[in-house]
Amino acid sequence: MIQAAPIDTVMRTLADPTRRAVFERIVKSDEISVAELTRGSGVTQSAVSQHLRSLKEAGLIVDRAQGRNVFYSAEPKGLVPLFDWMSHYAVFWRERFADLETLLKEIDR
Amino acid sequence: MTAAALKADAREIVVERVFAHAPEKVWKALTTAELMGRWLRMPSKGFVPVKGNRFTYQTTAAGAWDGVIHCEVLDVKPKERLVYSWKGGHESNTGYGAPLNTVVTFTLTKVDGGTRLSLVHSGFVLPTNETAFKGMSDGWQKVVPTIGEIAGEG
Repeated sequence: MIQAAPIDTVMRTLADPTRRAVFERIVKSDEISVAELTRGSGVTQSAVSQHLRSLKEAGLIVDRAQGRNVFYSAEPKGLVPLFDWMSHYAVFWRERFADLETLLKEIDR
Repeated sequence: MTAAALKADAREIVVERVFAHAPEKVWKALTTAELMGRWLRMPSKGFVPVKGNRFTYQTTAAGAWDGVIHCEVLDVKPKERLVYSWKGGHESNTGYGAPLNTVVTFTLTKVDGGTRLSLVHSGFVLPTNETAFKGMSDGWQKVVPTIGEIAGEG
């Protein structure tokens, strides 16, 4: 079981529209640098860096240093706290339908 | 929060399958307490297929939650439709065991050679915090499908 950030932290982090826009751009790209994120964002590089720090603290992104550059990518597990309950039931019902099939065959005999 | 916004962000699980058995048989498996417990693989207490009936399922506990799912039969139409609420969880939990206020709907349709059973488990509202919810609703529309696919693979 991964140790995920509390659900409140994840929600608070993504509630900021600018930060959410940064996160969405990271989600859409494999890996992206601060410079690329800053281009066309309408905010300064230091503001983008600040958002990246918050996203990293919330467990939503990971970074990878390469020489002088740092590349950011999305950490899908970061959103798992929000989906765990639901995906639990998606699996649950699929399995239970298979069990229902078995039971129906049994009682038909 | 408007009803439309809530609806846009509430998500549901849909499972459908055709069973090679008559609707009467499938209905019996769905509404006989003993049989229901056998295919759902969790004990139930107090179930009768009557509107307004309250019953429980016992599942795995998590943190401050005792693992009891509280249900109330909302609609019954023999051999066609069974709807009940499905509530559980505790607010101190995140992920599995977090508060859940959902509805389960079974619909049976007679088809050639059997019965189509459709299950809709609806009312998963993410996230639950209303203030954050408003701020995030746009973003989720784009992010959720991507992450949902990943989460659904498990």
